[in-house]
Amino acid sequence: MRRRDFVRAALAVGAAPKFLLSQQAAPAPPPPEPVPWLLGLNSKTPMPHVEAAEQVATVELRFFPPQQMATLTRLSDVLMPPIGDKPGAVQAQTPMFLDFLIGSSPEERRQVYSRGLDWLDAESRKKFNVEFARITDAQAGELLKPWLRTWLNDHPPTEEHADFVNIAHDDIRTATVNSKEWFVAPQVGAEPKTEEELYWSPIQPDVTSQNAHSSGVQPHSRAIPPSGHRMPSYQR
Amino acid sequence: MSTETYDVLIIGSGHSGGMAAKMLTEYGIRCIMLNAGPVADVTRNAERKPAYELQFRGFRPPGQIEHVFQSNGFNANIWVDEREVPYTLETDQPYNWVRVRLFGGRSLFWSRQSFRLSDYEFKAKSHDGFGEDWPISHTDLAPYYSRVEGIFRVTGAQDGVPQLPNGNFIPDDAPWTLALQRFIEVAKPRGIPVCKQRRAQGRDGLASSVNLLLPDAESTGKLTSIANAVVRELTVDKNTGLPNGCSFVDRLTHREMSVKARVVGLAAGTLESTRILLNSNLANSSGVLGHYLMDQVYGPGVLASVPDARKGNINAWMGSAAIVPRFRNINTKSDKFLRGYAINTTASVEAIPARNFAAYGAELQRKLDEYYGSGFYMTIMGEVLGRYENHVRLDKGRKDAWGIPVLHVDTKYTDNEFNMAKDAVETACELADAAGFEVLSKNDKPNPPGYSIHEVGTCRMGNDPKKSVLNKYSQSHDHKNLFIVDGAQFASSGWQNPTMTILALSMRASEYIAGEMMRQNL
Repeated sequence: MRRRDFVRAALAVGAAPKFLLSQQAAPAPPPPEPVPWLLGLNSKTPMPHVEAAEQVATVELRFFPPQQMATLTRLSDVLMPPIGDKPGAVQAQTPMFLDFLIGSSPEERRQVYSRGLDWLDAESRKKFNVEFARITDAQAGELLKPWLRTWLNDHPPTEEHADFVNIAHDDIRTATVNSKEWFVAPQVGAEPKTEEELYWSPIQPDVTSQNAHSSGVQPHSRAIPPSGHRMPSYQR
Repeated sequence: MSTETYDVLIIGSGHSGGMAAKMLTEYGIRCIMLNAGPVADVTRNAERKPAYELQFRGFRPPGQIEHVFQSNGFNANIWVDEREVPYTLETDQPYNWVRVRLFGGRSLFWSRQSFRLSDYEFKAKSHDGFGEDWPISHTDLAPYYSRVEGIFRVTGAQDGVPQLPNGNFIPDDAPWTLALQRFIEVAKPRGIPVCKQRRAQGRDGLASSVNLLLPDAESTGKLTSIANAVVRELTVDKNTGLPNGCSFVDRLTHREMSVKARVVGLAAGTLESTRILLNSNLANSSGVLGHYLMDQVYGPGVLASVPDARKGNINAWMGSAAIVPRFRNINTKSDKFLRGYAINTTASVEAIPARNFAAYGAELQRKLDEYYGSGFYMTIMGEVLGRYENHVRLDKGRKDAWGIPVLHVDTKYTDNEFNMAKDAVETACELADAAGFEVLSKNDKPNPPGYSIHEVGTCRMGNDPKKSVLNKYSQSHDHKNLFIVDGAQFASSGWQNPTMTILALSMRASEYIAGEMMRQNL
């Protein structure tokens, strides 16, 4: 053995025990830890894109009977027809939405619509011998224009028939302007814009849905003042 | 579990509670503040959305908050749900109780109009014989008004009108637009003053307890706050008969808890403070607790159109706002009503709402195009007289979601308010006609009482313990360590937005408390 090789071998023997010891003391590499699944929900994770259900699904009507719905649909078309690129109330699915809104509302508001639609249909049959749903624009104008009023916020007319015509007109316009169909149509001129504001979600779980203590809490017993009072008898 | 006794318990975190917390803690006094609702974090709890993404396309969710006319689908969740905290009413007597229980309360959402009361309000009985004078005058409160105006950064002009005292304002030197100039020309000969609006700028567009008052209190290290603490009643020391804290219910868990303090300050908002006192059976040796409920007449008004603005010159004609302070029953005497009203006046550059035209379809759209940016609004804020019979009491047969008896509200407007509203609309129409403006819509029917969200009274202050609940320092005549620092202490409502007065009274009461505590009288 040449001297150089001997020295290398001696160094190797001296170093070997330490090397071998260190190999024996080292723990086995840890198995990969499970990654908490929540880490996958980070800012880079794409959010699923969803549509509002009423935009893509067939809506089941639940409040207005067919004849009233037909009257409401024609009324909506007359009061808010398509203008320019903007959709009309029918294209914005406003009658179906109002079936949901009014059907969810207190009895007094339901009555304004139910009585008003029945009255309008009866007037049409009496005057033109045709149901309101098949009335012409000119005939509709004859029926509706005498009842149009100007009014300030929270104070719609309280006169019978004028109350329904003006309240329905206001609701139809608001529902249409606030529809997605209106929002996506090009804006030309001074047409009203879809409301777009800061929406506040329920800030902490609501006790009415969370706690058995409150399950017996009833809605307000006198939420709406009676008609005929000097105060406004209808709340939007 | 803590058995600590704090120096002062403050119930409520709005303008009045926030001011009390700021003042007292800055004097080194340890305070505990309870608020019935949660802390709102706009970055977590709110996001901008179009109406079509909401459940009811922006309409108010039916049944949830029928009395809150100010609500809509966007803000529906900020108001107190009337199904959780109901109140009952007399037949045919509606009342709109508009409440916010978020930390900061209604100070998060107020209109920021910032007026002082004048001695036409503080000394109203001396002027016209009705009701009771306050035990203080404008001179007593003026130094506090000035400090409050500084904190809230109120803009305005030194108009020098006695019924609208000058203040510590950031000067508003902007020239009037042409529509307001025309309006002033026709108002002046009729003895009707037109003043610059006075509005709290706050900071970053917000003039709330949560950004102008509570941070100062918290920086002292002397304030402890609890959210979601629904106060059941004040507790009483059996030996002294004095209030010594309160019991409360956790809003979410329904756990019953209590805190102790040497002094109690109620700042829960006029009717909620009174409800707590009624449920505690305290502070009512006079028998007037809950009585003399007042607010301001809102709703009557006129919308006119400025013809010159329709000729393509909106910017020159429109865009500024003014306040017409009360002018009736100042130097003359009306035979139709006592006191008076102010007119909020705005020359709007926005679209006029469609309901102001008796038209539909294409004809309506032509009107909307033609009248765009020409709307001149005149709406009233009228004083409601304080009457004993207008009151609240407990309805022990009805409880809220936490088992606490609810309020029964028994109040209505009288011919004084109805006549005032008619006069306001007739006057506004006269001014519009004289100015050459076209009246589009008008309404002389008041909104239901309470709508203004300016409910005051029910714990009024006065010098006579037999006729009032509080003395001139907002301190109970019956219990020396009990203070009510919100709008409940008003002896008359005035026409003015009450916020500056509530803040000034709370500041004044807090300094009195601090002084009395230092002198060991409390």
